[in-house]
Amino acid sequence: MTIPADLKYTKEHEWVRIEGEKATFGVSDHAQEALGDIVFVELPEVGRPLEAGEAYAVVESVKAVSDVFAPVSGVVIEVNGALEDAPELVNSDCYGAGWIAKVQIAEGSVELLSDHKYSTFLEE
Amino acid sequence: MSHTLNHSDPNHVAQQYSSTQGIQHEEPLLFEYHHDAPESIQLPGVEGALSADLTRFSRSTPANIPSLSEPETVRHFVRMSQWNHGIETGFYPLGSCTMKYNPRVNEKVANLPGLAHIHPDQPEDSVQGVLKLLYETQGWLGEIVGLPYVTLQPAAGAHGELTGLMMIRACLDARGEHQRRTVLVPDSAHGTNPASAALCGMHTIELKSGADGRIDLDELKAHLNHETAALMMTNPNTAGAFESDVKEICQLVHDAGGLVYGDGANLNALVGVARPGDMGIDCLHINVHKTFSTPHGGGGPGAGPVAVNATLKDYLPVPHIVKDADAYHLKTCSDTSIGSVLGSIGQSGVLIRANAYIAAYGRQNLHKIAEDAVLNANYVLHRLKDAYHVPFDGICKHECLLTDAIQNKHGIKTLDIAKRLIDLGFHPMTIYFPLIVHGAMLIEPTETESRATLDSFCDAMLEIATQCQAGETELLHQAPVKPFRRRLDETQAARKPVLAWPT
Amino acid sequence: MRFLPHTDSDRSAMLDAIGVSGMRELFVDIPAEFHIEKGSLALADALSEAGIVRKFSKAAEKNRNATNSCYFLGGGTYHHFVPAVVDYVISRGEFLTAYTPYQPEIAQGTLQALFEFQTMITRLTGMDVSNASMYEAATATAEAALMARRVSRKTKVVMAGSVNPRYRSVTANYLSRLDGQYVDVDMGCFGTDLDKVIAAIDEHTACVIVQYPDFYGSVYDLAPLRVACDAAKCLMVVAFSDVSAFALIEPPGAMGADITVGSGQSLGIPMAFGGPHLGLFSCKQKYVRQMPGRVCGLTTDADGKRGFVLTLSTREQHIRREKATSNICTNQGLMCTAAATYLALMGDTGLATVAHHSAAALQSLLSQLPAHITTTAGAHYNETILSFSDQSGRDRFLAAAQAKNMFAGIPLEKIDPKADPSHLLVTTTEMIEAEDIKDYITLLEATK
Repeated sequence: MTIPADLKYTKEHEWVRIEGEKATFGVSDHAQEALGDIVFVELPEVGRPLEAGEAYAVVESVKAVSDVFAPVSGVVIEVNGALEDAPELVNSDCYGAGWIAKVQIAEGSVELLSDHKYSTFLEE
Repeated sequence: MSHTLNHSDPNHVAQQYSSTQGIQHEEPLLFEYHHDAPESIQLPGVEGALSADLTRFSRSTPANIPSLSEPETVRHFVRMSQWNHGIETGFYPLGSCTMKYNPRVNEKVANLPGLAHIHPDQPEDSVQGVLKLLYETQGWLGEIVGLPYVTLQPAAGAHGELTGLMMIRACLDARGEHQRRTVLVPDSAHGTNPASAALCGMHTIELKSGADGRIDLDELKAHLNHETAALMMTNPNTAGAFESDVKEICQLVHDAGGLVYGDGANLNALVGVARPGDMGIDCLHINVHKTFSTPHGGGGPGAGPVAVNATLKDYLPVPHIVKDADAYHLKTCSDTSIGSVLGSIGQSGVLIRANAYIAAYGRQNLHKIAEDAVLNANYVLHRLKDAYHVPFDGICKHECLLTDAIQNKHGIKTLDIAKRLIDLGFHPMTIYFPLIVHGAMLIEPTETESRATLDSFCDAMLEIATQCQAGETELLHQAPVKPFRRRLDETQAARKPVLAWPT
Repeated sequence: MRFLPHTDSDRSAMLDAIGVSGMRELFVDIPAEFHIEKGSLALADALSEAGIVRKFSKAAEKNRNATNSCYFLGGGTYHHFVPAVVDYVISRGEFLTAYTPYQPEIAQGTLQALFEFQTMITRLTGMDVSNASMYEAATATAEAALMARRVSRKTKVVMAGSVNPRYRSVTANYLSRLDGQYVDVDMGCFGTDLDKVIAAIDEHTACVIVQYPDFYGSVYDLAPLRVACDAAKCLMVVAFSDVSAFALIEPPGAMGADITVGSGQSLGIPMAFGGPHLGLFSCKQKYVRQMPGRVCGLTTDADGKRGFVLTLSTREQHIRREKATSNICTNQGLMCTAAATYLALMGDTGLATVAHHSAAALQSLLSQLPAHITTTAGAHYNETILSFSDQSGRDRFLAAAQAKNMFAGIPLEKIDPKADPSHLLVTTTEMIEAEDIKDYITLLEATK
């Protein structure tokens, strides 16, 4: 189970990489493993404004469906189109090629955990 | 042998599919038959050129529907049928599905030309025979469940749920209670319950089951209020347990101003023994393809008639069959009806099979269905309760619930147990449902299985448990190895869906 | 009871094994006040098998049926030829008595039949993908409206008044409890006035539903509707009631439909007094994840052999619950196998003959109509409206025809309560012979 130190995490098992006014969203290693083989990712539309905590994407395995929630508020500026043809990237590289969306950050955030805190949270 | 097909080489295809495993034949898709179309089937009718008005719209490219000769067609489908397991082939203990023997005489009578080849819109005086059968079926179903007013229109159980909720909503609206839009659904319920509520424009609150798998009265009370439209309850529930507090549950819902919807999927445990209407249920759908033994057909058709009490009778859908002094009629309008939920009176061909089934048992014997169904489930439970984890104690009704908790310690899951059963000659039970326990295995033997069949199924289950204990896990992980196909790759199917054969 | 294998000694032995004193102890969890006395229900006495056959044969004899009468009835249910092979295949216990194919390793027969069915329906309707059945056409139409709302994220539904009144009524009923507008466009004629339909479209419109051939049998060009739907970014839903038409005329897919729904009863399924029939549902590939109902897909097994499974299950109620695309669970599976068998027996040529004969019979009938009967011009497939001077003239004809073992049509007001009761919906299929048409015309003249 990897939990990169340069990312922040949510209790819903999403990660966020904040770089200046932009943020990249994805789901954690724990989440992809719990879901099993991902078969489909429903991506948000570019330009959609998101409130922190809002469901913005849906990740599906063969027998399960999970909403993915925005860790911080913002407007979607880019989505990972590669997932349309290769949803398995979420399994194979959840922190890299398996990212889901990028946003222009606005005000508002759910509780974000450091890698240590997320690791402790998972153990609990 | 691989079945990647080479379109360009008919001989190659023929060679692949001539191979057999014993007498279990491979069989190509219809679209892979490589020959010129045989002489067309002879059809009656009027010849003659068509007008230019119509030919202006002529199809520009052929549909490309393959054409097989009659012997090839029969062999194609008969070979495919032999890859299937049906209740006529063997034991089929799918929990909550009531896979009982489907009497052949029902097929015979339903296929009589005077019942199969009649149009729903021919004059009433020319269909009095079928109207009489359907009217009688309406009455019998109402009597059996203790809710005298019945619509035959819903096409399946889920459709019945929608119809029942529509009636409940109409009744509440008529009382001026437009704010009642919440449906309480236990977390053990079938997925159709919340889906039907959503389709009826209502929202669902999930009730957490109590420690015994039953409805928790405190949890129920905590969610009952002025917005409650209905509680949807399945009794016996999907853990196979009777909700013994049913009277109090119904009273609580009624006192709060709501109504009680009964999901009749598990009626087989009660038929002839007790009646949901007597317990306080206001509205119940009946899965005739479960309790009343109409064949499942590989997914359908079914029928989901809904029975209601006096509170809801004014809201029944139309058309509805009524009888006057000398004839049966289809009543097509009513001021208070919820309207039509189907384009016809209902799945008549299914409903008359149910009539034949009830007629065969009759007043004298109907209770034997529930008795033997409950006996069989308890017998299976008794034989398996030491080898498998039983999440909820006590006697069960028509089905029993086990989990894979013991086998988990050896790395074996419910799915492995199910697939191993196939190698041992049995259709698996319902797996991973209900959702309230981890690794659920829900076994519903039904009343039409002999003690010998139940014993050999239990022996197979015990053998699997022993194999787990002995660490023969590879055998289970690989299963099934004996049927026509081994485990199928569902991930591949869902990632890149191929839902039609390319032209 | 002959369906129950246990002897009384089996029962005793099993009760002993369980450790209970008797059957009653297995039901103690049901409060005593709810136990009913055995044999107390007001049902008929048990019948032997011979008794059942006698009872049903008597009931069947009271119904006039298509083996002893001539049927000019349609309106959504059709008397097409049903080959014996279709009856045989679906009476095979392996197809008839199987459940939904949840264990694909031992259900490949059902699954391959579904895959073949889906493929042939897409080819016949000209669409990309088909599901594995809905209940019937009216509920399928309602489901199409719901799907279009999900796809478009808009809520207004525009329905042409020339769609079968029963499909309209069920769709309106389904939509009436949800937010959003439903507009039923009155046609004022026995045909489809596309200009009126198009005028009802606006930026809130999720979809437009038309029937083709329409309820009155009219065949017309859907191209203007496609243009209007593109302009308003709404979906074009095309309903139909006799799918055999698409062996003859351009299918909805070729006319640009986004979703097609209708009845597949014409494909080897008996009329059976209203059911079980077969609801067809197909759509463009890009909308597949919003489609209701089960769907079968191609895959491979652990040995790399080709096989089939139910797929895209996350759309369905057992996984997505209140967010499912539909509440449908049990569908019309066996009727898919019937339709697949029928289509394989017919092939392109047989289907084209069915469609040609169905249309030719209507044209023959119309060409011989006596002067006191009026009808509408334009292209029709196998149905149209005959207008009489008044209801009594029409009913006199119907009664005379019935006396000669002929059902000459459906009084229009029976399906469309608002219709003037001087009209008759008349339908022809390949089961109508030239002699039947001659009799029809003779009766019309005789009852003038």
